[in-house]
Amino acid sequence: MATSLRRQGDEPAWRWLTSAPAFALMLALGVLPLLNLLAMSFANVAWSNGAATWSFVGLANFRAVAVDPLFRAGIVNTTIFAILAVAGQMALGFVLALLSSRVRHGRIVYRTVFILPILLPGIVIGAIWKLIYNYDFGLITQLLAAFGLEPIDWLGQPTMALVSVILVDIWHWTPFCFLLLLAGIESLPQDVYEAAEVDGVSWWQELVHITLPMMWPTIAVTAAFRLVLAFKVFDEVYLLTGGGPGTATEVVSFTIYQRFFTEDRVGLGSAMSVAVILVVGALLALALAARRRAAPA
Amino acid sequence: MSPAGEGTTRRTILSRTILTGTAAASFMASTRLGWAASKVEPVSMIINQSPWLDSIRKLVDLYEKETGNRIDVDVEPFAGSLEKQRNSVRSKQGTDDLLIMNSGWFAEMYFGGFVEPIHDIDPGFKLDPELYTLGDTIYFDARNKTMTPRGKLMALPFAPIIPMLYYRGDLYKQAGLKAPDTFAELEANARRFHKPPGMYGIVQRGARGPHTVAFDFYPYLYGFGGSIFKDQPAGDYAVTLNSEAGRVALDYYIRLAREAGHPKTSTFDQAEVLQNFVSGRAAHVLTVIAAWSQMDDADKSAIVDKAEFAPPPHAPGLPTAPGLGHFVAGVAKNVPDGRKRAAVEFLRWFQTRDTQVALAKAGGMPVHAAAYRDPIAEERRFRWMKPLAAALPKAVNIYQFPEANEVIVILELGLNRAIASETGSVAALNTMAGQIYEVMAKYNYKTARLAPLT
Repeated sequence: MATSLRRQGDEPAWRWLTSAPAFALMLALGVLPLLNLLAMSFANVAWSNGAATWSFVGLANFRAVAVDPLFRAGIVNTTIFAILAVAGQMALGFVLALLSSRVRHGRIVYRTVFILPILLPGIVIGAIWKLIYNYDFGLITQLLAAFGLEPIDWLGQPTMALVSVILVDIWHWTPFCFLLLLAGIESLPQDVYEAAEVDGVSWWQELVHITLPMMWPTIAVTAAFRLVLAFKVFDEVYLLTGGGPGTATEVVSFTIYQRFFTEDRVGLGSAMSVAVILVVGALLALALAARRRAAPA
Repeated sequence: MSPAGEGTTRRTILSRTILTGTAAASFMASTRLGWAASKVEPVSMIINQSPWLDSIRKLVDLYEKETGNRIDVDVEPFAGSLEKQRNSVRSKQGTDDLLIMNSGWFAEMYFGGFVEPIHDIDPGFKLDPELYTLGDTIYFDARNKTMTPRGKLMALPFAPIIPMLYYRGDLYKQAGLKAPDTFAELEANARRFHKPPGMYGIVQRGARGPHTVAFDFYPYLYGFGGSIFKDQPAGDYAVTLNSEAGRVALDYYIRLAREAGHPKTSTFDQAEVLQNFVSGRAAHVLTVIAAWSQMDDADKSAIVDKAEFAPPPHAPGLPTAPGLGHFVAGVAKNVPDGRKRAAVEFLRWFQTRDTQVALAKAGGMPVHAAAYRDPIAEERRFRWMKPLAAALPKAVNIYQFPEANEVIVILELGLNRAIASETGSVAALNTMAGQIYEVMAKYNYKTARLAPLT
């Protein structure tokens, strides 16, 4: 059949036929669950006699999302978390990438060391930092005690708790930004720098007028990736603070987890998930638009 | 011998035979001698990670060795176990036959129709009368939606997890004190030993978690005569959390934390509580009995042989009131009949006195009252058994409705905020009571609320 299609010169049909398995897989694994999620967001699902009963509730779940105190706290905290964590990671990652690009020896060693945190699962990182932050026995407490200083309650004060979680995320994900930005810096055309050197530009002028403008597309994509991932933060919060104290570190993924899984309110949880997908989609669209505007014509 | 006498003798012989037979049958039933090993299909048991898991593994090994039957143990993290059980029971054919369900979710399983009543599988199954029924949570009356012996037998008690008072016996001995019976005694003793940061009078849970601070607070709430609902077994879900007794309990809990407890109570979960106790920095903790085996393990504890156990204290004139955080074992409805019967065979074996003694020796907690009368309860290593046996009959089933997790989330946040001083105790109780009332009203339970505390 394939031969006969090609013989007839029906190239589009052949392309569709060969792409079909991939499309079917994508449909089954990506689109159908999303559609199911969307359907659930307009329904209430109850279980009785071992069977599920779906009842259509219109926009009730979305109205409940809008007034859910945990979700509202989660949106605020997640936005603060995403902006501060990604800003920190981008700044540190860029500085490290700039410095590393000038290093000529031992690249494998330092790159391996730098990327170690991203090789660790978030749940392990959460456990490690929970021990580091421990008020009684933590590493930081012991270091402070060695200098005669009082321990700091990293996870117990509302403002400090969110900052502490952000610091862990910066530690975790800066290597990711570093790697992408380093690859970007190393791929910049060297003749521009050589010309700048001939013109006698300063280090600062080179950074502001050459490196940053040429790096902007890479920076935008890296930041977009990280923003999307930061918006989905869960495991670090789950282990470090459980959303507390109060709602100081409540993040949307954690709220969804509680509503969807702990409380088994799949309709409300689905509506929250849909809302987050829309927010993350909008973020991604903004970042891609920014990249398009910044890309050389 | 007269005919009459002969008749009497015959009657006597007959009655003695019946008595002897009954006694023998009772004895046989309470021991594994009476358990006829029948070859059955393999059973898949789903259970969560816990400090007592190892004891269950040892017990399963013993069962397999004695009977030749097979039990496949599927171990999941605590939250993961609920998720996997939900996925299994909600599918057309389940993968897990024997469900080890926590107090946080067995109501959901009963109400949802996911658990097969044991007598529907084996009408001849006899529940050992000496098993702790743990607030009668092994029964479910589907018509009245209550858990009382009037309902069907849905599960067997599996792990009698309740909070117990752990205290430093060595410090008590030096001070010439006896185990605290009332809250006033606990507070006085905690203040006496409170010398931070080296020693805290008591270390409590205050963190917001899946069931953290609320679980720690129940013995105080119920021990002071408070409650969340007016009369849950009777189906009266009027919210009584913000009663005067509730306020006294929360004020006491917070006062204990602030004046004789750890300064970071609001961030503490069970792990931190245990960490402080086993490292010798806490004179008292109220935590689940499942942690007993860590106390005398020199690899994990700096207070080997120093921990003592007592039922949770209470207000004068009221009983101790530990909240149940126990596990029950039920059989999934959507598995093949052969596997259901095999699961019941395991439960029949599990409920015997001998098995329960073996469980204690393996590091677990028996659910059979006779096991607590066994000579091992006199051994120093098992010094927790008598206090636990005293507390178990008083244990309170906090929730018997499937939406309990929504109430727990409210309590976790409200209590955490009160302990972290983000809000006062009265405001916290009024807010939580109002939110719980809304949950119960939403699901059409018979509910009401008290006037707000002032």
